[in-house]
Amino acid sequence: MANAWKIARRSNVQLPLILVVALAVVVVLLGKAQGTLFDRMRAHATDAMAPVLEKLRVPVAGFDRFVGSISEIFSVYEQNLKLKEENARLRQWRNVAIVLQGRVGHYQALLHAVPDPKMDGVLARVIGRANRPFLQTMILDAGRQNHALPGQAVMDARGMIGRVYLAGQRTSWVILLTDLNSRIPVTVAPGNVQAMMTGDNNIMPRLEMVSHTVTLHAGDQVTSSGDGGFLPAGLPVGTVVSDGSGGWRVALLADAGSSQDVEILNFSKPPETPPASAQLPAEAAGLKPQPPPPVPAAPAPTPQASAPANAQAKPKPAAPPPAQTAPTQTAPAAEEDVDR
Amino acid sequence: MVRLERAQTPRFRFLVALVPLAAGLGGVLIANIPVSVLGGLVPAPLFGLVPVYFWCLVRPDLMTPAVAFSIGFAEDVLSGGPPGIWTLAFVLTYALLARQRESFAGLSGLAAVLGFAAAATFACAVAYFTVAGLNLLSGLHLPPPVPVVGELLMTVLFYVPATLVVGWLHHRLVGASRSDV
Repeated sequence: MANAWKIARRSNVQLPLILVVALAVVVVLLGKAQGTLFDRMRAHATDAMAPVLEKLRVPVAGFDRFVGSISEIFSVYEQNLKLKEENARLRQWRNVAIVLQGRVGHYQALLHAVPDPKMDGVLARVIGRANRPFLQTMILDAGRQNHALPGQAVMDARGMIGRVYLAGQRTSWVILLTDLNSRIPVTVAPGNVQAMMTGDNNIMPRLEMVSHTVTLHAGDQVTSSGDGGFLPAGLPVGTVVSDGSGGWRVALLADAGSSQDVEILNFSKPPETPPASAQLPAEAAGLKPQPPPPVPAAPAPTPQASAPANAQAKPKPAAPPPAQTAPTQTAPAAEEDVDR
Repeated sequence: MVRLERAQTPRFRFLVALVPLAAGLGGVLIANIPVSVLGGLVPAPLFGLVPVYFWCLVRPDLMTPAVAFSIGFAEDVLSGGPPGIWTLAFVLTYALLARQRESFAGLSGLAAVLGFAAAATFACAVAYFTVAGLNLLSGLHLPPPVPVVGELLMTVLFYVPATLVVGWLHHRLVGASRSDV
């Protein structure tokens, strides 16, 4: 092929080549030190490509479904049987969940438990996926203008997929749990074992930093632990499986390859405010306040001093007994949650 | 189609000089469209490397180190990996090709494909070991080699159709190779 062409004269490119190689090394080091420069460029590029990706998404997703359905045609009967069995089992679990939800709500009311942090969600659509040697990512059609920010968890209907690591104005990139750079603190239940789930481009991430004194079992549930405050605790992640060489991996619940619509969790942990000194320790523990001591006949206090005194003396209205209110409030909510 | 090279005006010569760069950037763009066919099982090939290889051998006056740098930089920005990896890989591959130009350009047929495979292997090896070095510095795991090997295979597999397109662009827009440039 190349013989058909005359070879061009060797140009004297040695000097600029050395400079360009040096510049490339500088880019590598600069990217290591200041990765945000590249991230901004990537975000702008993806924002610009977003309309094209939206257009491409539909036919490509259809093609993907078609290819996937070819192999599934031959296993429709077995899948149908399996789904029926699974459906029956899930109905039993639904009833158990409703009962347990009511009981948990009852206990929370009794213990004055701190409610979970508020989480808002942004529904986003997957408009692109990239499987590169050093990055496994998906691109969503929600960005900063939709309040999607780096670090937020991304879920599909089954479990956690990854985290937003780059947010443009209209698009955001998600680093998948399977990616080489993904590290998520997780909790393994039962046993409340703390571990670190690290991706290595395998479909099942590794479980690391598990204490040697702890024994895991295949099938244990893995959820996010919330350590560090970057992710909410309790997000379903997957189940423990053995890797066959003494280590453990996580079979993810979510399927990042087939997810089309995902939710970006806006996890904003409210700052913990210390209770007022007047409420410590009895009221903070949920006990009824003591009746105020009798005020001795003394000179009238100044207005500045009387305010806290009155506030302390004024007993708070007694909270309604939680045992009466909790079941009536939590049972319908549990129904709604499960139905949803 | 008009052969731009035949028009000797500086403006057209400038446009001709931009063809390799535009082809490389187009290849990078196509390869990095984040649309996964077959559920991401097949990695995207390094289309941007084909113009670098082709014009580095055929018209090195058009494929300069700066152009190779730009194509690699575009690959870095759009692929989303660690910054600068493909920039360094493309530039070093260019350096290899520039030093061994006579050897590579003399290949034809299957040997030409093997020649490109050698260049692509070198590029992927540079990228892999650079990432591995950076990861070691950061205390991270070594990247698994399988995805890089998959990308290398796809790049070599798509070399023939990609080089047909590049060759067509060369003949239609740039014109035949000249030894007097």
